[in-house]
Amino acid sequence: MHPKESDPTPRPAAPHDPGRRFPSALTSGRVLTRVSGAGRTAWTLLTERPLSLYAVSVLRMGYGLLYLVFLLREFPHRDQIWGPGSPWTPALARQLFDQTGWASVLTLSDSRVYFECCYAAALVVCALFALGWRTRATSVLFAVVVASFHARAIFMTDGGDNLVLLMALYLVLTASGRRWSLDARRLRRRSERSAPGRWRPEPAPPHRSVRATLVTTVHNCGLLVIALQVCFLYGAAGLYKVQGGTWGAGTALHYVLNLELFQPWPALSHWLDGQTVATAVAGYMTVLLQVAFPFVLFGRLKYPVLVMLLGMHVGIAVLMGLPLFSGAMIIADAVFLPDRFYTALADRCRRAVRRTGAPREASPVRSGAVPKQGNPPSAVPGRR
Amino acid sequence: MLDEEAVEYAREHERSTGRVLAVDTRHGEGAGPSEPLGPPGPPRGGRWGGRLLNTAVALCVLTVLVHAVLVFLHVAPANVISQRYARQVNAWVYPLFEQNWRLFAPDPDSVNRTISARTAHTARDGSVQVGPWTDLTSTDVSAIEHSAFPSHTSQNMLRRSWTSYVEVLGGDDVPRSERAVMMQRYLRNIAAARMADLNGKPFENIQLRVVTVPVAAPGAAGDDRRPAPAQTRLLPWWKVGSDASEGK
Repeated sequence: MHPKESDPTPRPAAPHDPGRRFPSALTSGRVLTRVSGAGRTAWTLLTERPLSLYAVSVLRMGYGLLYLVFLLREFPHRDQIWGPGSPWTPALARQLFDQTGWASVLTLSDSRVYFECCYAAALVVCALFALGWRTRATSVLFAVVVASFHARAIFMTDGGDNLVLLMALYLVLTASGRRWSLDARRLRRRSERSAPGRWRPEPAPPHRSVRATLVTTVHNCGLLVIALQVCFLYGAAGLYKVQGGTWGAGTALHYVLNLELFQPWPALSHWLDGQTVATAVAGYMTVLLQVAFPFVLFGRLKYPVLVMLLGMHVGIAVLMGLPLFSGAMIIADAVFLPDRFYTALADRCRRAVRRTGAPREASPVRSGAVPKQGNPPSAVPGRR
Repeated sequence: MLDEEAVEYAREHERSTGRVLAVDTRHGEGAGPSEPLGPPGPPRGGRWGGRLLNTAVALCVLTVLVHAVLVFLHVAPANVISQRYARQVNAWVYPLFEQNWRLFAPDPDSVNRTISARTAHTARDGSVQVGPWTDLTSTDVSAIEHSAFPSHTSQNMLRRSWTSYVEVLGGDDVPRSERAVMMQRYLRNIAAARMADLNGKPFENIQLRVVTVPVAAPGAAGDDRRPAPAQTRLLPWWKVGSDASEGK
């Protein structure tokens, strides 16, 4: 380390530079340079580079589809759950809203026709959200739909509904339509039409880049909130279990497997219940995985942990008949997979499709032309 | 240093997104074709615009931090901090961000509850006919059996209405709050709707009975999964009709 480094950095200090406000004593200055350097890097990352665009797109598709499937599954019971004929009557729901501050578009009218329209509109919104059509606006509508249906049947919800609601709210903040969406396809086609074979940089007025900075910042903040939320979920689920005697004794799963309302395949549940050692190990692993989850996210260890959690959730879905809950959890876990995982996955799928004989998709120009890649700094080693 | 950062960034970017990079940068907003990585922070839109933008970004970050802290306090067990700031936490978290992740924790339920109902009908001559007990839970259980995607109506409706009822009313059946009246009405409506569906006979009163059967401790004889000490709670007769329809 050269003492010179404690001088103000050669780069012009930006107004946001946190290091600037501190007195620059020689010794602490060195540290501060580093800290402010890291801070500046973080700031640049936050404001200029939208992270995990593939992951949030996977969340968008996942939750859109999951809620669509859920609404369709409850089609025969829709009036009983959300409609005017529910035992939780519209009057009761409104009374509760007055106490809790909730709101729902479903209680605006008691008419059956109005409800059916809302239900149909909700199906359309879920589908469009999954497809990524006018994504930002649709994401707001999706959040309104999920919040409305959740609030209307608040006493019929479980952890899965709760998680879908939170994610629907957070996804509004993210730029979830930049990848694998109808929006992305439209942008790509438009630019291909206007300049076949070549992209032309659009002249960007200053207010637009201000907007881009804000959009990127809000996206990254939303992403961070999603990640934190999942960590809180696993941390709480695990740490509360640690307090329970049955989880410590390895018998918790015995009780879980014997709950009649969570036994879609009773023979399977009873057989598993007989495997005392296996269920004890599985119970311990469950607690361990949940508690460890927030701490393994920053290393390679996260991959085996995510795979094990996937296994756990598939197990819960099948054994306990909780596919909505498990699906919501699996989709939430997907936020921690990096973009390169998803691009590699897409590449592999594309190659597989090509091999099975879809020659139209084989054009490399097409597959490479993913539009609107956020707003990365424009330093490219290959270009001068 | 700057260029190193940029190269490192570009490499990382290429690693993560493959071919995409070349397209992106041409599309990059506000960045001229040969502009190097500019100073961090946006010098766009003039000095005031830049300041405003930085303030907005800082506010976003601050909001995330506040949200994280308040949700953490909401999720964590009641503690000195969450008790002191209960008002702020609740104001922020309710209703949208309410959450509870005590999933099968601290201990999973170790009982199965069977909720049954019977109805009473007053005939024209004044005689009262009381019907037999009908097991409502078993309809749920059989609806869930062999279903890959059980409905919320069978898995959550009756189950959660009962747990919510107990949460608000406790051990006796005298409602002492507005919420308690609401939960009682909800439970009664569910039972009444199911009884009407199941036997279609007219009735004016309904009564519920909840039998709680503990799950046998592990190691109990394989076939005898239902040991004796079951608890039965008999609820009072409730009137159906007038205010059930008024509730709708």
